[in-house]
Amino acid sequence: SDYDPRRVCLNPCPNFTLGKHRRTMGVYLAGALFALANWTFLDAAVLSAHAKPRWGDEVPVHVSFVDWVPGICSLLGYLVINMIDKDRIKGEEGFGGDSRAVWRARLFLFIGFALMAGGLAGSVTVLILKYILPAYTPQFTYYGYANVSQSVALMLSAVVLWIAQNTSNEYEYNLTL
Amino acid sequence: MSAGLRTVILLSFVLAVGFLLIILSCALWSNWLPLLVALTFVLAPLPNALFSHCGSDEFSSYEGGGGPVDMGRFLTSLIVITGFALPIVLAHSGIIDSKASAMSIVGGGLVYGTIIAYSAAFTQSESEYD
Repeated sequence: SDYDPRRVCLNPCPNFTLGKHRRTMGVYLAGALFALANWTFLDAAVLSAHAKPRWGDEVPVHVSFVDWVPGICSLLGYLVINMIDKDRIKGEEGFGGDSRAVWRARLFLFIGFALMAGGLAGSVTVLILKYILPAYTPQFTYYGYANVSQSVALMLSAVVLWIAQNTSNEYEYNLTL
Repeated sequence: MSAGLRTVILLSFVLAVGFLLIILSCALWSNWLPLLVALTFVLAPLPNALFSHCGSDEFSSYEGGGGPVDMGRFLTSLIVITGFALPIVLAHSGIIDSKASAMSIVGGGLVYGTIIAYSAAFTQSESEYD
């Protein structure tokens, strides 16, 4: 019954058996992942600001503005993705018939995903170029790994939020059929 | 009625213990940063309370809610995780003691649990009234 020949991709996600509270649980989980992502990076930033040099040495590396850029990109992409009306993207024919609005919504969705993917790629770049290649001790490569895990957790949060909000829509859609 | 009264007294006692733990975690090390945890957990139920009446009127039977309700839940979850993560981060970088961090986490959990239990008991009595 869920086979629709117009759809290119079938939904690979299994139906969760959480029942009625599926949407609520998904939204809570997305918020938790969002907070965890940002606190992971803030942990690295606070740790770097309070790093004490041992044996009178200089602290070799600090979290600077370069480390903040991937997180900012991911956050912007997160905002863009979640501000799009999800019904526009499906582009159903009876939905006002405004094909340009569908096109614009898809364009902004693409920009949002590109920002998030760019944030992830940028965090991996910062990890490799700033922390792994100069061969710092694990105390300092942690900053780079925290940056990567921030981007990954932000992506996971966006995915969870998307699924949580779309399952409810499909449920409604089936009811109207 | 007496059961409700007993619940209120018990919850206020737990709330007092939670605040005692948080203030003790600040005062014992004379470092008042963990007090932010109390502020965070007090703020935590606020978005849900604000947005829960936004999405639906009383005539719509659909309980899923719309965007504003989701927004409130997202913010609530974010603030709760912030309340747990803040003392861990502060203790990780050595700004506060790790024992102070544990005490403020337990105290904040007690405060938030009190608020949740109180609101649950309150809505129960309200549905009893219907």
